[in-house]
Amino acid sequence: MTERANLPDQVLVRHVLSGNVEDYAVLVERYRTQLARYAVSLCGDSDIAADAMQESFVRAFDSLASCRDPAKFRSWFTRILTNQCHNMRTRTRTHVALDDVDAAANESADTRLTSNEIGRAIEEALDTLTPEQREAFVLKHIEGYSYSEMAGLLDSAVDALKMRVYRAREIVKERLQDFV
Amino acid sequence: MIDGSHISPDVHRLLDGEPGGSPEDRAAADRFQTALDTYGAALRLPGRDVDIAVMTAVRRRRGRARSGMFWRWLVQPQAVQLRPAMAAAAIIAALAVGIVVRQATLGGSPGVGSETPVMLVRFELAAPRAQTVSLAGSFNDWSAGEEDMVKSPATGLWTITVPLPSGEHQYMFVVDGEQWVPDPNAHAQVDDGFGQSNSVIVVGPRGVVRS
Repeated sequence: MTERANLPDQVLVRHVLSGNVEDYAVLVERYRTQLARYAVSLCGDSDIAADAMQESFVRAFDSLASCRDPAKFRSWFTRILTNQCHNMRTRTRTHVALDDVDAAANESADTRLTSNEIGRAIEEALDTLTPEQREAFVLKHIEGYSYSEMAGLLDSAVDALKMRVYRAREIVKERLQDFV
Repeated sequence: MIDGSHISPDVHRLLDGEPGGSPEDRAAADRFQTALDTYGAALRLPGRDVDIAVMTAVRRRRGRARSGMFWRWLVQPQAVQLRPAMAAAAIIAALAVGIVVRQATLGGSPGVGSETPVMLVRFELAAPRAQTVSLAGSFNDWSAGEEDMVKSPATGLWTITVPLPSGEHQYMFVVDGEQWVPDPNAHAQVDDGFGQSNSVIVVGPRGVVRS
């Protein structure tokens, strides 16, 4: 597993397509860890995000042969996951439970309360964004991606992403003005 | 669509969220990003359960894909080179297979070339405490372990999508490998002859007619 964990995506995709299904576990672990926060931020709920990730990985496996450029498995899969998260969020329309935003255990009670309030305010602000604004804002401000990374991942132009993030940021700032 | 070449550097800085020159602006931008960083760091993230569920599902699919590959190999034309001795053996084998197929056809079995429409049908069962759930029915010879369903950790809902030919099918869910339960959402149940009911689904050429 350790050696396989270092293999590039395109090699793993080829292995899986040629029948070595166990190599898919490497891709699953790789992108579950990389995209988990993104999925939770898009879905607004950890359990829903887990479902979305599970279903996205299975769908990706089923249609792996249609991934035309296996070296771009990451952006191909991110698109599947993004769509799945938006679909599931629309279906469930739930908010992050309090335990999903778990303040650091060593903080004082007062600080913890404040963190949860901010967390809830951020959740409510994210809920007011369009799906496109939300995915761009999350990648930029929660995942810390550069615009060029985002452009590769979302298959969009940098300037369009900048505008999307700018509009989202203004909305979120407005919502958080009592906290920050 | 925005053309970046027409955007001035000042507008780019604005879009990038870079704070203005004043210390207040910079402090506000820092507080905003710190709040988001704290939020992101505190999120409860999906864990290895996802990996396990995904790999369980894809391993089952591999099994089905293998049987599908065998079936395609069996029914698709194959390019072969024959020598005279091999040709004679092949003719004898073909005659033998032809006799068997003809007997099966005369006995009422559907021919390989029949074009019954097949639809993808999704089955669901809410069973949050179950360890395993599978689908058994007239379409898979009531085999309990063949169509394993996948559980949603969030809802406790077990689901599976299977291809079914047009027509009426009977089915049940098999919970934890031993408990046979009918579908509470099925439109009809029929007596299974063993004191229980089978659920009924009717599939038409354009989808599920009744379930």
